[in-house]
Amino acid sequence: MADLETLRQAIIDGDAKTAGAVAREAVAAEMDALTVIQQYMVPAMDEVGRRYECEEFFVPELLLSARAMKAALEPIRPLLAASGAKPAGKVVIGTVKGDLHDIGKNLVASLLEGGGFEVIDLGADVSPQKFIDAVQSTGANIVALSALLTVTMPSIKMTIEALKAAGVRDKVKVMVGGAPLTQQFADQVGADAYSENATAAVTAARRLVAAG
Amino acid sequence: MAEYVRLKPEPGRTVSDQLYQLGLEFPCGGCSACGGCRVRLVDGEIPITEGMREALREDELAAGWRLACQADAAVPVTLDIEQWSARILTDNTSVAFEPGEGFGAVMDLGTTTLVVELVDLATGDIRGVLAGLNPQGRHGSDVMSRIEFDLREPGVLCEHIRGALGAMLAEVAQGREVKEVLLCGNTAMHHLFCGESVEPLSHVPFSSPALGARTFAGSELGWKAEVVTFLPCVGGFVGSDLLAGLVACGMAESAEVMALMDLGTNGEIALGGRDGILCASTAAGPAFEGGRIRMGMRAGDGAIDRVEATEADAMRCHVLGGGEARGICGSGLVDAAAVGLALGMIAVSGRLNNAPLRLDGAVQLSQADIRELQLAKGAIAAGLEILRRQLPVEPDVVRTIHLAGAFGNYVRVESARRIGLLPSWKAPVAPVGNSAVRGARLLLLNPSRREAMIEAALRRTRHVDLGGDAEFQEAFIENMRFMPPGR
Repeated sequence: MADLETLRQAIIDGDAKTAGAVAREAVAAEMDALTVIQQYMVPAMDEVGRRYECEEFFVPELLLSARAMKAALEPIRPLLAASGAKPAGKVVIGTVKGDLHDIGKNLVASLLEGGGFEVIDLGADVSPQKFIDAVQSTGANIVALSALLTVTMPSIKMTIEALKAAGVRDKVKVMVGGAPLTQQFADQVGADAYSENATAAVTAARRLVAAG
Repeated sequence: MAEYVRLKPEPGRTVSDQLYQLGLEFPCGGCSACGGCRVRLVDGEIPITEGMREALREDELAAGWRLACQADAAVPVTLDIEQWSARILTDNTSVAFEPGEGFGAVMDLGTTTLVVELVDLATGDIRGVLAGLNPQGRHGSDVMSRIEFDLREPGVLCEHIRGALGAMLAEVAQGREVKEVLLCGNTAMHHLFCGESVEPLSHVPFSSPALGARTFAGSELGWKAEVVTFLPCVGGFVGSDLLAGLVACGMAESAEVMALMDLGTNGEIALGGRDGILCASTAAGPAFEGGRIRMGMRAGDGAIDRVEATEADAMRCHVLGGGEARGICGSGLVDAAAVGLALGMIAVSGRLNNAPLRLDGAVQLSQADIRELQLAKGAIAAGLEILRRQLPVEPDVVRTIHLAGAFGNYVRVESARRIGLLPSWKAPVAPVGNSAVRGARLLLLNPSRREAMIEAALRRTRHVDLGGDAEFQEAFIENMRFMPPGR
């Protein structure tokens, strides 16, 4: 019998090996995938987020936990799909055109995944057209845009305008983030949400989905 | 090559004041405690004070050594300040000095600070030095915000910097005719000075078509100089300041592999030798200059510049100037983190056991300050590691690590190694002062060999773009942690 408490702790400790092993045991024991995720894995990531918020954890710990989460999700995901369970939401994420920084974006992507979202990561230096194509082909309900440089911030605005021009802006919620961004900037460019850090992004995404 | 300054008595300004304004720093804050600000009297007379007697030996005093922090004189004096600009590789026979005539100048156009040196082309002596702040600073402290500003209001920054450097040149030349000026600076500074478009520097792949040297007639700039040349950039944001640094430490001719690290706001690093050099810039941020640290400040009176562990496992802080602590500078920050780790006050993850970490008086470090340091040192350590892997070269093959800049002069190497800012390689770490200015001066003093020297350094050097490198990002995150000793 898989010890799910160990799984929870392994995710908090960033121990991918143990997390993956326990998850495989859980699958072998035919445990309910949704229960494992919702009662152990998501709460573990929430705890990681809490520790990050109160400055106990920093980027490396956050990333290790996200990796442990990923390792645990790997064997469980096929079961989840088979059970017909729906993800919390579908997010298309990317760093905007002209900007190659993707540490922050990767972190947000991992945490969203850990938070039960299906994430389509387009990478860095992503053109507006690629965002539009991804939204249309995946039916995502959230687009998350990242920029780390003051000089690439205008790319966020361009991307949002391109979404409008392509007629898909109304179909999705837009979240923005990155070191030089502010709530004020998010308001100016007409984004639906801004988050100051990776863990707040998960909260913001949940709020957007809840608001429909 | 000795470096001389000549000073005249000025009412209300001691020799010590004048030296301070020339950029000499007094490591202990001017209380004659450390002897670290020694200069050698070549001509004239500087009375020996009680403090000098305590800090210097009898034979040193007889040889003309004095403490800059306590120096005053009633007559004009000439001082040798060679130790302030560290050593030029004197064994480098390929760099011969060609005596010329008249005066020349070299300028280091930094993102934050400006340095202008007047050089006697006949003797190679420095006849005056001026340091100042880059007036562009009010439009953003880092290169990216400057670029953004210039895109919005083209030409303003160009006008500012040309005006400021022209005024400094006039002040340092004091009516003497200047034949030639050589400038160095990072790629953004180069473009903004030369009036090149910074648009290519505002997005990936950050490659500009205008990296080459630019020569102006002094009159074009409104300067009192015949010819002004901005030295060529290396690539990406790595500019002629690093190129000049490579020249200063002779990297392109070196049979042994060496590293050069300039830990300013735009941290630039190079690794290699005559068989090839790799260089990169890592946006380390201003933490080592006291920036973005809540109680951070530049190394001046009231700054904690050194922290040690006492026998009772507590922290003992040294304050520049000896008064009450007002803040902490880069070297103090690195020391505090190293001591905090040794005493178990900071975990390997960077977590403070008891936040904030109290240092001295009202000065303390918050958890966020430690995080800022982790980001800065992580970026630099990861950058060097990637260059090492790509060169590729084994750690033990690297023979010397040259550490440029004022921070490099004052940081305790042992502490920098403990926190992982510097690698645990066997190579000794040598502070080299302002290697950009020294390299530019070497080029100024060797007009017939200049092109070949620049060409040799440029040809052997390849710029590595770390921004889009997945391996770098991995190493960056790994290096954010404080590795336990021995790793």
